[in-house]
Amino acid sequence: MPVAGDIYKPILSEILEVIEESPAIKTFVLRPSEEIPFEAGQFMEVTVPGLGEAPFTPSSNPKVTETLEFTIMRAGKVTGVLHTMKKGDMVGVRGPMGKGYPLDTYKGKEILIVGGGVGLAPLRSLFLALTNRLDDFKKILFCYGSKTSQDIIYKSLILDQWQKLNPSKIEFRLSVDVGDPAWKGNVGVVTTVVKDLGLDMANSVAVVCGPPIMMKFATLKLVELGFPDNVIYLSMEKNMSCGIGKCGHCMLDEYMVCRDGPVLTYDKIKGKPAIWD
Amino acid sequence: MAPYYIADSDLPKFLSWLEKRGDVYVTTKDDEGRVRIRPYSEAGQFTWPGVRSYQPLKPFFFSMLEEVAEYPSRESSFKESKPFAIVGASACDVRAVEALDRVFLEGDFKDPFYEERRKKSLIVSADCTDPLETCFCVLVGVKPHAEKGFDLNLSKVQGGYVVEVGSDKGKEVTAANTGLFRPAGEQHLAERQATRQKTLKLVEQQSREFAPPKPWQELLAKAYDDNTWAKNVETCVECGACLFICPTCQCFLLYDEKARDRYKRLKMWDACAYKRFAQVAGGANPRKHLVERFKHRYYHKLDYFPKNYGFEGCTGCGRCIVACPGKIDMRKVLKEVCR
Repeated sequence: MPVAGDIYKPILSEILEVIEESPAIKTFVLRPSEEIPFEAGQFMEVTVPGLGEAPFTPSSNPKVTETLEFTIMRAGKVTGVLHTMKKGDMVGVRGPMGKGYPLDTYKGKEILIVGGGVGLAPLRSLFLALTNRLDDFKKILFCYGSKTSQDIIYKSLILDQWQKLNPSKIEFRLSVDVGDPAWKGNVGVVTTVVKDLGLDMANSVAVVCGPPIMMKFATLKLVELGFPDNVIYLSMEKNMSCGIGKCGHCMLDEYMVCRDGPVLTYDKIKGKPAIWD
Repeated sequence: MAPYYIADSDLPKFLSWLEKRGDVYVTTKDDEGRVRIRPYSEAGQFTWPGVRSYQPLKPFFFSMLEEVAEYPSRESSFKESKPFAIVGASACDVRAVEALDRVFLEGDFKDPFYEERRKKSLIVSADCTDPLETCFCVLVGVKPHAEKGFDLNLSKVQGGYVVEVGSDKGKEVTAANTGLFRPAGEQHLAERQATRQKTLKLVEQQSREFAPPKPWQELLAKAYDDNTWAKNVETCVECGACLFICPTCQCFLLYDEKARDRYKRLKMWDACAYKRFAQVAGGANPRKHLVERFKHRYYHKLDYFPKNYGFEGCTGCGRCIVACPGKIDMRKVLKEVCR
């Protein structure tokens, strides 16, 4: 983060590569003009020059500091223009902001990750951060769902490379909402693979990231399976504008999601109105 | 620090001295008798306000619209500001600045634009003596006279003012003018006490019918689903006047625009009453309905703000009541939903 007076000023960043992940999702590899260290789960504001900013959590390994990757779904004004940008174009980045995943508190634990759709982007950064220090954790169970097999992002990673990393310690369960002849895996929403976990519940944490409706049902499922509310880590998607806890847009009751989150445990927000909207 | 006394005839001398140090703004009254804050150089004299000014102090520190960045550029949009003094601020407005200080200066990130102007400001408050019918400070933990948060505080007494010093900055400016300030006498302090009691009683009396039987947070914890919110929001036209005129409303948006060969980022006031205020690009909106946005203001001021900072984010200034074209009165709404 720039110091003193330049708190709202973006750091110019060159697009090194644009990777098409799915029909509506692209990954942008950026080289910021100065290094921007971050922790998995923290977010940044990406600027389309002259148009404005939108908040995204990097999808890249926090260990890598010369480049940053953002996997972005085309959804609104800023992302619409971002999707037309090419290698060599310039964008701005401001951050990192907020609180990420408290990895130190996950030490010695079994980690359940539940992701849906483009929610895999921050989870990729988390997964890479976990694998940077895999000895610290007992087990990783990664459940991921997408609409169709076409919509799966990071296909070469999640369908292949990651599965070979350490099969005795890292297990993957994939699901698609709507099957097709080529898809041999589970068909159904992601919560259909969140069962018979074989985890030591007293020594586990769960991380959930995805579209609001998926977050809701995944969380309810985890509660039903016996996860205490305070170990269910949710990545909340809100309208983060300033990113520094001042502008009011991302308020979720008394929380400024940008300042107190974006990762919040379920016990903090349970029962509050409209948390999944 | 023992209070001072300054004579009526000496106050202009002090204001002239302040003018040498920077800009000076004083309270005056307009044709309709409303208290306005204007440059001393235009107003010519300080007029005892008696009550909060028409506009809050907020814009002195948190501009309605300002440039906060330009890019790509090595230039910074941050500029040092000139020292300035505001003379005649009400106790509720002093509280409002305390609230904004917490928002803009606390946490991992400070807002440098706000911080710079706060550093350069000198706030001279004035006890309320003529509360308006819409004043309800006593219902939200504020008194008609400031007890802290000011640099200097004035209380009108026979022939002059009792001057309370509330900060190092206040100490400095009085120490530089020892000829104008002398220790307040017993009779001055007694007079101040009597006037303060009288004003306090007046606000208490007019607020009595709206006084909460329990702390607001306790009452609001049970009021979220009350069915009278819907009725109370019926006349709201979503203009945002209650929010823009509010001395503590902090919300803003960042807006980028092209300026020749570069881009500018502007920070401008925003209002949580607007439909798309909290909406995200994917379309999700936690406060789709007007009644939810309406409630958000009440809960932010009286529940969320205290949860974050330990005191109410409403100062009871009553400006929102005066500004509302739908005649929505916060006191009446609260009385009904918390009944």
